[in-house]
Amino acid sequence: MTPKPLPSLIAVIDIGTHKTASLLGQIIDGKARMLSFSERRTDGVVKGTVTDLEKLTQCVHEVVNDIERGSGRAVEQIYLSLSGPAAEGERVKGFVAVPAHDGKVTAKDVADAIASAKRLEPPSGRTTILYMRQPTMLDNRPVSNPVGMAGKRLEVNFWRVTMEEGNMRMRVGMVNGMSIKVRDFILASHAAACATASDADKQGVLVIDMGAGTTDWILYYKEHILCAGSIPVGGEHLTNDLSVALRISRETAEDLKLRFGSAMHRDNDVNQTIWKDGDKGVGDQQFNRGTITQVLSLRYQETIEFVRKDVLRRLEAIFPGHAVKLDQNMIPSGVILTGGSASLADAAEAVQLVTGLSARVGVPNFENESLQKPEYAGVVGLMTAAITDAPPLVRRPRGFLDQLKELFRL
Amino acid sequence: MVTRLSAQLPSEVAVALLDTDARSLPAGAATLQLGRAQTRGMGTGGEAALGLVSAESEEAALRRLFAGVPVVVLVTGLGGGTGSGAAAVVAGLAAECGATVLSFATMPFSHEGERRMRQANDATVKLGQKCHGLVVVHNDLLLQQVSPDAPLSESFAAADNWVGGALRGLASAFAPGALIAVDPAALRSLLSTPGSPTLFAYGVGQGEGAAMKAARAACDCPLAHAPGAVAKVASLFVTVAGGPAMTSTEAFEAVGAVRTRFGGETSTVLCARIDPSLGDRIEVSVLGASLPAPKAPTKPKKGAKADDPAQPIFEFATEESMRRGLFGGTPMTFIDGQDVDVPAYIRKAVRLPPAP
Repeated sequence: MTPKPLPSLIAVIDIGTHKTASLLGQIIDGKARMLSFSERRTDGVVKGTVTDLEKLTQCVHEVVNDIERGSGRAVEQIYLSLSGPAAEGERVKGFVAVPAHDGKVTAKDVADAIASAKRLEPPSGRTTILYMRQPTMLDNRPVSNPVGMAGKRLEVNFWRVTMEEGNMRMRVGMVNGMSIKVRDFILASHAAACATASDADKQGVLVIDMGAGTTDWILYYKEHILCAGSIPVGGEHLTNDLSVALRISRETAEDLKLRFGSAMHRDNDVNQTIWKDGDKGVGDQQFNRGTITQVLSLRYQETIEFVRKDVLRRLEAIFPGHAVKLDQNMIPSGVILTGGSASLADAAEAVQLVTGLSARVGVPNFENESLQKPEYAGVVGLMTAAITDAPPLVRRPRGFLDQLKELFRL
Repeated sequence: MVTRLSAQLPSEVAVALLDTDARSLPAGAATLQLGRAQTRGMGTGGEAALGLVSAESEEAALRRLFAGVPVVVLVTGLGGGTGSGAAAVVAGLAAECGATVLSFATMPFSHEGERRMRQANDATVKLGQKCHGLVVVHNDLLLQQVSPDAPLSESFAAADNWVGGALRGLASAFAPGALIAVDPAALRSLLSTPGSPTLFAYGVGQGEGAAMKAARAACDCPLAHAPGAVAKVASLFVTVAGGPAMTSTEAFEAVGAVRTRFGGETSTVLCARIDPSLGDRIEVSVLGASLPAPKAPTKPKKGAKADDPAQPIFEFATEESMRRGLFGGTPMTFIDGQDVDVPAYIRKAVRLPPAP
């Protein structure tokens, strides 16, 4: 299938547990110029799962209305982000034996191998949302373009993301309700990586996108996506732990987390007394800062540990029998931490401690200064990914649009 | 566990062990093997349904056991088959026999996995409807009281100590020789509403100012600080036990401190007792309950009738509201067999620095 030409207007929407953000950009010379941006508090999503579709739909509509009003342009199609455990990924592979007469790979061989990979049915009840290309192997050696090369066995690999059918229908339906088409789905962790990691980083980097409800991660190796996953724990859990430990409201916990929180607990914190309001007036409360950092650091480091285990588990599934080590040799660029919860003080240090890898907080690379914060990596990255992925990286399954048309009578 | 506990109790308290597993019932103690026909003395294998029928099959023997007993304290470990299934039946029978039933139910550690936790949750709801007072003891919370590198045996001993202290405090209240004595009817009036949230705290102090130390320890008791636990109650039942040196001023100071923390505006029943074996130690145990506020408008919830006796339990004492905080009411999220919505510090049993 030939890729559609890139439109001059690109709209993206990132529906998170805490916030829904949307960005409309004009594409000039392959770069996005922001026309309008909107974000609102998400309603109806708990822990990354939709609990109240009506409220969420209303929230999405408001955000889209905002960007239309802000730019004076009508949005006709939009890119949707996919995050959380609902979007499950796995590696699928297909291979062909290269015919023996001259032993050279032809374009047809590649197409056959791709077709054989895509013939693998997703688990029942699930729909394939996207295929992301992984290195093509010729006789077990990675090659960038095998056509014309000599070899015996050609293998193509994809990272296939599937989603429960009903869930996908719901998401598409939400946008269709405004007479807007879903142009494509983009994996949220991939988007976050596109906003924060350079091409050089993608030789080997783990990007962790820690949002409010979920922590998504993606591992790049030799410029390709090796694997991705999601942990159903996020910034909300930090707030919750604090609210339980100090017996305070969600709002107070959120406030204390931002002002006094840290992903590292230091002995010295225990000697610090902090005031909730600071005016020592009626209703002001004092807390031990050590309690705050203790509670938060335990949760933060545990979540990163869950990610580390999940990465290893998936690597083992891809390379069975190999003792794969997640170390600086494999991923020279270490960890890039992004998403709203990356802003917690000492977050990078905590990641370094747990993973043993170098870590930094990723700020989205975007011309507009107000969006240069880790929490906007998702929405900015959707825009970047939409531009850069248009032809090679994201491939739709065969007949995907036809399936959609059938499903939603577009 | 019960064997260890019975050694700590005054002799006036009759202890009976109930189990389906014949091997865990020691010879010589008062025991009752449940479900002889159903399990053949082999335990329930974690099946709550089997625990339930096992208890029902011994109804006559249980009734004989409870006949004429004014107060029954039921100590049970939930999560497994016998405790989860039989507890509510046993409590129900004891209540029918005219006893005031107070239950201490230990919840499994989060590491014990999803199934045991669910089974324990279901059991607390059922048990709460059958007994007059229900104190839920979270093993996770108890673990926070011991240092992280303590041996496992010490962790379990800590759990025993909390429950043991509680039982001792209660038992000594009714034993002869109390300075300020109470009768079981006081407990009955305190716990008159089945299913109302029950507060429990226990503390020990030693040396100079032992009474205040004990009162403060009780105020900081993890059982009373369990997330979502009742903060203040209308009625309190406070037992102060100490050695011969304990003065009345000390005892009243301790009660004052406890009242400041826990309330007890409607009524506070005080019991003081001298126990020479305590030496310079003083123990304070607090039991409290609130009658459902009659004026508070009842919020009818989906699928629950307004007069559903399970409702207060749902709001106060379930696993969810106790430990899951803002996530109470949402489905549990399991990673490696642990409900990760429960705060990490609770699951890892890390003791938090004290409040300023």
